[in-house]
Amino acid sequence: MSDPILHLGRRARALGFVAAALLVMSAAPAPAQTQSAQTPGVATADDEFSRQLGELKKSFADIGKRIEDGAQSIERMKTPEEGRKSIEELREHVGKLLGAVADNGEVSKLGALALSRADDKLKSLLAETRFKADEKQFLVDKWKELRASTESAIKELDGARKDFSELLRTLQTNEDYIDELMQIREHEKALQVIHQLTDGIRDASVKLRKLLGAIKPPGA
Amino acid sequence: MRAALLGALALLALAGCVRDGNTGYVEIKTVPASARAPSLYIDADKVDTLKSGTTVLRQPVGTAKLQVESESGKLTLCQVVVRKNRITTVTVSALDRPPRCQCSRTGTTDTRTCIG
Repeated sequence: MSDPILHLGRRARALGFVAAALLVMSAAPAPAQTQSAQTPGVATADDEFSRQLGELKKSFADIGKRIEDGAQSIERMKTPEEGRKSIEELREHVGKLLGAVADNGEVSKLGALALSRADDKLKSLLAETRFKADEKQFLVDKWKELRASTESAIKELDGARKDFSELLRTLQTNEDYIDELMQIREHEKALQVIHQLTDGIRDASVKLRKLLGAIKPPGA
Repeated sequence: MRAALLGALALLALAGCVRDGNTGYVEIKTVPASARAPSLYIDADKVDTLKSGTTVLRQPVGTAKLQVESESGKLTLCQVVVRKNRITTVTVSALDRPPRCQCSRTGTTDTRTCIG
């Protein structure tokens, strides 16, 4: 339970890196790009990735508030039934977080495309003959920096995915345990398990707030 | 014109409901993580190369078929039960020939069914 929560702060910084990298990528002049036709799908990947990150920030803010409310209400639960309902709602919220960063989700795919675009740019710049050596070196260095920060951010997003997965698993395992306890009429024990979840959820809520503060959508 | 617009909005709303309301997650792990991951398919979709031996996919609720590409075509490894807002973990042992599913929780009668 501690890992997913402790690592959310790092994930926050990672999303900030992605946003910053995309901001530079979208703002930086790309001489080679202006003189040669881009592949349409690849050309829009950066913009779309930026837009998706902006959307992500909005939805994470909303979900964060709901998780916070969930943590507050779960503490006051008087019956296991109420607790189960609350955990079910929390699973839905965490599921949305996980869905946003899933490997087959749009953000992950666009991140991979943005990385691929940086690779392509580097490859084409290295073969470039139009620019002076120092100009070419400047462009290559800039794209290398962008590639490195994008790659690092994608790695951190992978970590966020792992944290959200573990959090979701913790919630569902506890829910199953509560269900089993209720079947044998151990209602008091079930309530105890529910209340024990409060601290963990509250910690996750705090970390998620930090994550939101760190996301800086390109152009903002 | 208005009817067409309303129709389109209804379709979009329906698509949104399907996407948000009936989704679960499948976590696929390959062991050992260092082994070359076999080409996997979940239903018709190819699973992209597993980063550090793990991938988390958003899937519609229901039963999905996890398959591996073999010389004789696609071979079914196991069925994965995807439940709403839950995560089902499947570990694929790449050392076995053919690879084998290890479920953290199995169906009561069928050990080749992983449940979340």
